[in-house]
Amino acid sequence: MREFRIAEPRTADELAALLNETREPVALMAGGTDLIDELKSGVEKAGLVVDLRKVEGLAGIAREKDGLRIGAMTRVAELAEDAAVARDFPSLRQAALSLATPQLRNVGTVGGNLCQRPRCWYYRDPQVVCRKKGGFNCFAYQGRNKYHAIFGGDSCFIVYPSDLAPALISLGAKAAIGTAKGDQAMPLEQFYILPEVDVTRENTLAKGQFLKSVWVPAPKAGQRSAYVKLKERGTWDFALVSAAVSGVVKDGLIAEIAIVMGGVAPIPWRLKKAEDVLLGKPPSEAAVRQAADEALKDASPLRENGYKADLVFAALKEAVLAIAP
Amino acid sequence: MRGKEYMSVARGEATGAAGQAKAAAAKPAAKPAEPQPEPKAPEYKHIGKPTRRVDGREVVTGRAKFTQDVKLQGMLIGKILRSPHAAAEVVSIDLAPALALPGVMAALKLAEGKVRYAGQQVAAVAAVDERTAEKALALVKVDYRTLPYVVDWERARDAAAPQVRDDKPNVEKLNEYSRGDVEKGFAEADVVVEATYRTGVEIHHPTETHGSVAAWEGDHLVVYDSTQNIHGVRDGLARALKVPAPSVTVIKDYMGGGFGSKLSLGDYSVVAADLARQAGRPVKVLLSRRDNAVCVGYRPSSHQTYKVGAKKDGTLVAFSLLNYASGGTAPGDDVAEPVVDVYKCPNCKVEEHTVFTNVGAQRAMRAPGNTQGAFGLEGVMDELAAALDMDPLELRRKNYSTKNQGDTGLPYSTKGLDKCYEQGAKAIGWERRNRRPGERSGTGTVRRGLGVATSIWWGAGVPGTLADVVLYPDMSVEVVCGTQDIGCGTRTHMAVVAAETLGLEPKEITIKLGNTEFPWAPLSGGSLTTPSVAPAVRDAALKAAERLKAVAAARLKVESGDVVMGGRKFSSKTDPAKSASFAEVYRDLRRETSFHGERGGMPGDRYAFNTFGAHFAEVEVDVETGRVRVLKYVAAQDSGQIVNKLTAESQVVGGVTQGLSAGLFEERVLDDATGNVVNPNLRDYKIATSLDIPEIKPIFVDVFDPRINNLGTKGLGEPARVPSSAAIANAVFNAIGVHVREIPMTPPRVLAALKRKESAS
Repeated sequence: MREFRIAEPRTADELAALLNETREPVALMAGGTDLIDELKSGVEKAGLVVDLRKVEGLAGIAREKDGLRIGAMTRVAELAEDAAVARDFPSLRQAALSLATPQLRNVGTVGGNLCQRPRCWYYRDPQVVCRKKGGFNCFAYQGRNKYHAIFGGDSCFIVYPSDLAPALISLGAKAAIGTAKGDQAMPLEQFYILPEVDVTRENTLAKGQFLKSVWVPAPKAGQRSAYVKLKERGTWDFALVSAAVSGVVKDGLIAEIAIVMGGVAPIPWRLKKAEDVLLGKPPSEAAVRQAADEALKDASPLRENGYKADLVFAALKEAVLAIAP
Repeated sequence: MRGKEYMSVARGEATGAAGQAKAAAAKPAAKPAEPQPEPKAPEYKHIGKPTRRVDGREVVTGRAKFTQDVKLQGMLIGKILRSPHAAAEVVSIDLAPALALPGVMAALKLAEGKVRYAGQQVAAVAAVDERTAEKALALVKVDYRTLPYVVDWERARDAAAPQVRDDKPNVEKLNEYSRGDVEKGFAEADVVVEATYRTGVEIHHPTETHGSVAAWEGDHLVVYDSTQNIHGVRDGLARALKVPAPSVTVIKDYMGGGFGSKLSLGDYSVVAADLARQAGRPVKVLLSRRDNAVCVGYRPSSHQTYKVGAKKDGTLVAFSLLNYASGGTAPGDDVAEPVVDVYKCPNCKVEEHTVFTNVGAQRAMRAPGNTQGAFGLEGVMDELAAALDMDPLELRRKNYSTKNQGDTGLPYSTKGLDKCYEQGAKAIGWERRNRRPGERSGTGTVRRGLGVATSIWWGAGVPGTLADVVLYPDMSVEVVCGTQDIGCGTRTHMAVVAAETLGLEPKEITIKLGNTEFPWAPLSGGSLTTPSVAPAVRDAALKAAERLKAVAAARLKVESGDVVMGGRKFSSKTDPAKSASFAEVYRDLRRETSFHGERGGMPGDRYAFNTFGAHFAEVEVDVETGRVRVLKYVAAQDSGQIVNKLTAESQVVGGVTQGLSAGLFEERVLDDATGNVVNPNLRDYKIATSLDIPEIKPIFVDVFDPRINNLGTKGLGEPARVPSSAAIANAVFNAIGVHVREIPMTPPRVLAALKRKESAS
């Protein structure tokens, strides 16, 4: 393990000031379930690790008049057990329960889950210098790519591994970003960036910024949601493909719908074309088939991940049928 | 080398590796014996009943000492630098910068000339702590000249591929076998089925990684080693360090699994001993989880093409097998035993090749060869059954054999496979299977199916295994044997046998094992520990019981033939009023008294000794997601007399779980561009979790073999693994109507198989 310094700020302001001032590469540590591994293997080379666990006011779930605010340091297990989440946002609860293992959910946080680094096995190999790490090649493109992206890959074919992000985006969540100049809010969907924007990172967080909380708008009348995660084994597995669907079905027809897929692209992947096909149709297998086919026209599978196209349909079908009243 | 040593011991033959083992399996005699009606096993109080582990408390409270727990005064930490390149010329190694770092006490150059795989050891250091050792490793300067390499075995077959080894081409013949005339056989067949079955690379990944602590006491070396073979490690170290064998003591107290990857001396143990010698202080070398994926072996891949011919009624007339196995820089596994030996078939031809690649060498893994072979053979049997429109179990029974079909032709001493079929089928509810594979069953996108597969293995044990029973005047009883408990419950079965024989309780027996100073026992692999050690303990304990009876006779003033043991006392048969308590008789011994036991020979010239099993799986398959779930599992085993039912059941549950995991999830992934393993961790190398493991019901058919040893017991560890991936694959076939033909049966492969079926219809 490389040597690094550790800082333990106590307030959000102290944290913002520290991040703004520091001149060396910084890693923010929330639960640390993954960062510690990255530090050990040498993939993460931060000279300063900022431990967020003692920062006041970053943890907890608060009811606000028009929605629910979830602090970045809220543990995933708390999110999964929250009564308001269970009642208003079933997809978010399903996503929380689907990720990692009970031990990891007890330590891992919502913010950590939303800001985690990709699991691409080339990126994770300390011996490999891929594009994400400043090199010239994406090794997955012509290499072993069973778990890689079928949408949105360009210079880098990672998939964004978060389960919470697709669910939150489909529910219209906003991210609150802490900075030295005060908080900024943005749709969580815009928080994530494609490799073509900046291949070395997965979100917009610039120097001095950190994720403070996410806000989920209160459900509309008749809103239903579902999260379907297809994985290889029963637990402790990232999604091969996942589908987060939120919508309103009125008089047997889909009146509103948001679809965000996980495991298929370098960011949580909005399936706009599928949404357009489904609007005004009944939530049926035939409609989903048509919607998936339309969306999959944009897919460019690699040598070993073509099966994900089949899984897009399977996950989407289960999730869409689940929101029918 | 690995394969030969391991398999010959597994087959219960006396070999060089078996050291003091006496010759038992002589050449077959002219007249094989006829199978005889089976005698019944004696009634026992402890043997065959469930006994809790005598060391269970130690393990669950964390007091049990594993190699990783060993801490000696002044102990240094050794670390090994490994090649990042799959093939390279090591031009130079400069240790000086590492040795200059304060706290570094020793350093070694380990590679000369070429390195042939990524992960091969290049240099090593020993330092006062782990951090310093890691820093020092980074300071070792190695100049590599990289060379062309090939890690993909199919590409390695090309004439243009880089040559992996200097001494031979990339493809080499591994095995050949022939009986009868297969061409004639196929010509006579009414139905011929041909298909190729592939098995991927499964890594042992024991919970406890490999490791060694070496300490020199003058000219004597003591090594604590996480090994399945203390005597083999001792002999290997003596050879490598050029010291006499008695100058080396190897100790293994508790171990967190090996599955075959710890059967012989590891290069890390030599490194620990050399570093310790150089530094003049004890050195501990522990391998990492990553090391487990690159340099301590795995189950080699196989690519088995079967052709089978049968008459309309299911009578087999010909089998052929062409296999390509790949074990990196070492030969792959010979997988032919099942096709040669399981079913009666007059014509059989086998040709196997190995393909060398720039990947670390394979090591034996739980039932090497037979596991891969069972997947292929049992798969083609089910595809044949479908072609014949026949019950797969009926097809197997139709071609049942009672004697070895291979080289010896000897009758099996006992074979309870028919009972395994019968009891297993009943327990799983075999009648619930789809009459024809893929007949609609289940609802929505989910299909259900049942499958069966057969196991054959050796596991007769090694004649010449020694054990001592020591009686003390205070009524203590000690059993001493130079075997090792690799986690399967050896301590407990030794206690069970001694307690049974001496009329005591297992917890009253003190067990000593895991030290090369103790009487010789073979390696713990090849399912031979129980059938080697338990009979030796029985032999010693019987002698001890005889002595006790003689001592009691003297005290009771009766003939010793008149003395019986029971109810913790010795009494006269003719005058039951005359009796002496155990305490009195043991006191009469006056001093501790040792009794030497030995596992005797068996008539290997007249009988074949094998273990058998039949596994049954019920699965459901989602035809849209390709996900397979195992719902229920029944494993019926014929391993002769069971010694401890509780740990025997654990063995079976473990073997089934491992086969399920390899059948559905586990696969090492290699990258041709970097020459490295891309999933050298437990996140991306996926092992079954508790949510993936169904109800598993072990059944022991209790066949008593009176010839194999004095307890009629056979091995069990590997027989429980052999057919488990195969049974699940056949259940998937029964569910969806197409055989996936490749393990692990991941969603992409299941979906691809379904597409193959679609395009065929």
